[in-house]
Amino acid sequence: MADNQIVKTEFVYKILVIDDEKRIRDVTSRLLTQEGFEVAVAETGDMGMKMIEKTNYDIILLDLMMPGISGLEVLPYLKANHPYSVVIVITGYATLEHSIEAMKKGAFDFIPKPFEPKDLRIVITKAVEFLSTLQDIANEKSRMGVLVNQLSGGVMATDTRKRIALANPAFLKMIDYFGQDVIGRQVSEVFQNESIERMIDQALAMSTETISDFTKELDFGKNILSVRCIPFRDRLNRNLGTITVMYDITALKKIDQLKTDFVNMVAHEIRSPLNSIAMQLKVILDGLAGAVTEKQKEILDRASKKINALSNLSTELLDLAKIESGLITQEKEEFQIGSLLEDQVAFFQQAAVAKGISLELDAVPGLPPVLANKRNMEEVFSNLITNAIHYTPENGKISILAVAVKKHLCVSITDTGFGIPSEDLPKIFDRFYRVKNEKTRYITGTGLGLPIVKSILDAHNGKIRVESEPDKGSTFYVYLPI
Amino acid sequence: MSDKKFILVVDDDPDLVESVSLKLESENFVVEKAYDGVEALEKIKEKQPDLVLLDVMMPKKNGYDLCDELKTDDQYKDIVVVLLTAVGDAVTSTNYTHIDGKTNMADDFIPKPIDLDKLVEIVRENLE
Repeated sequence: MADNQIVKTEFVYKILVIDDEKRIRDVTSRLLTQEGFEVAVAETGDMGMKMIEKTNYDIILLDLMMPGISGLEVLPYLKANHPYSVVIVITGYATLEHSIEAMKKGAFDFIPKPFEPKDLRIVITKAVEFLSTLQDIANEKSRMGVLVNQLSGGVMATDTRKRIALANPAFLKMIDYFGQDVIGRQVSEVFQNESIERMIDQALAMSTETISDFTKELDFGKNILSVRCIPFRDRLNRNLGTITVMYDITALKKIDQLKTDFVNMVAHEIRSPLNSIAMQLKVILDGLAGAVTEKQKEILDRASKKINALSNLSTELLDLAKIESGLITQEKEEFQIGSLLEDQVAFFQQAAVAKGISLELDAVPGLPPVLANKRNMEEVFSNLITNAIHYTPENGKISILAVAVKKHLCVSITDTGFGIPSEDLPKIFDRFYRVKNEKTRYITGTGLGLPIVKSILDAHNGKIRVESEPDKGSTFYVYLPI
Repeated sequence: MSDKKFILVVDDDPDLVESVSLKLESENFVVEKAYDGVEALEKIKEKQPDLVLLDVMMPKKNGYDLCDELKTDDQYKDIVVVLLTAVGDAVTSTNYTHIDGKTNMADDFIPKPIDLDKLVEIVRENLE
């Protein structure tokens, strides 16, 4: 008995038994009531149809051979009016034709007469499992619907032919659409925006190998939207359509602009005067403004050091502010990492040469382009190269190598520097953490370079890894998805 | 006879201009000063300097624009232009490619904060 126990659910299913044989009605009814179902019975097809009009039954046990209206006649009526009811036919003589015909007309299963209680249980268990799967799907759909509709971000799903399958209220508001229902209509019919359409086309054309996402900032009327478009796939990895997600970043952009203005103001009003004071002191110190006594020289020297330290600090704080404002809103574009690295190496060559360090770049030709924020990437590599220069003693060597590794582009920056003690390795990406020892004590910094590098790479679904040996050097590996 | 090279120093910070000028004069250059892009252009037309040390961020006319103007004008394109630019800006600036003087219009650049000894070195290199 136990192995045939019907799956218990919190939900009480309603079953209707339509059979002209009283014995069958009684037995079935008693058995199913015991199992926890709510059972109703009908003696004729006619009566069954009337009951169905009033109540929704989850499962209907239907006798095929009845006087008056037969089961085969009731069945189409049931399927037409109650498509979600599961119909199990009871066939007095288990002929194949009758069963097949009943299944064709939409029956879920059949049970031959006479049947044992366990036969009934098996069939009902199957029906209950089917119903609860349907219920799960319906619940999931309802949950998804509420979820998507409540999101403050705009969401739109399309099929592969760019017909809208879903669009939440936030989305419609962002595109300023207040017309009739959009479901099933072409994207271009509902709103005109070439950029978004192009993004959808790109997402649809994306090979199944890649999952990169396109994020773009678009001007949409008076709003600035950050738009992302990604394809979604079935379990066999076929494109089913696209999902477009939008955020209104108008306010963020305004704040960003304020911050940029502020940074520029500070740069001009604080850093420039500091630098010019440093230069004035230098001019006096060099005797270009008349002879300087030893005592005056000593005082001016000390003043110069302080001014220079302040100037360095303001520069780093400004860099940080700039980078952080860049991280708020990300505009990605496709570009060659090789040429960006060439520019960086050219830029830092002077600083490297000053320390007698050779700075070399080896980018494998024909590297695929990366999809990233260019300014962020400049920040990543300028930080890593600056670090390498700072932490490498004179006459050292820094080599940068760019290669494609499977689905990633890997740029490695190897130096012959002081290296990082193993106990410090896990902490170097923490904010304000700086490796302090005899050799690095005089190197100034905010301890924010590597944390910024890491947060930029995280934002790009990339990663950074480091290998280091004290007194031998370090290698930082930057991975970017391609 | 004067084989002394003639340099125009342009920056909106008079203190910077003064310090740089004093240094250059001590190194035997002839120096003229200007404090914005428009004034700089007038002085260039009037005096035809050998080299212009040109700040980027300036009122009236910025350094990039002035540099482009000079380099696209046959009469002035041979004047050496060295930009004065903040390092942080150079790397993060959206005008980054513009700053890499060697691949663009300017002949070279000197990073700010300015190291006066290095400045003299770069000026000499570019006048050779």
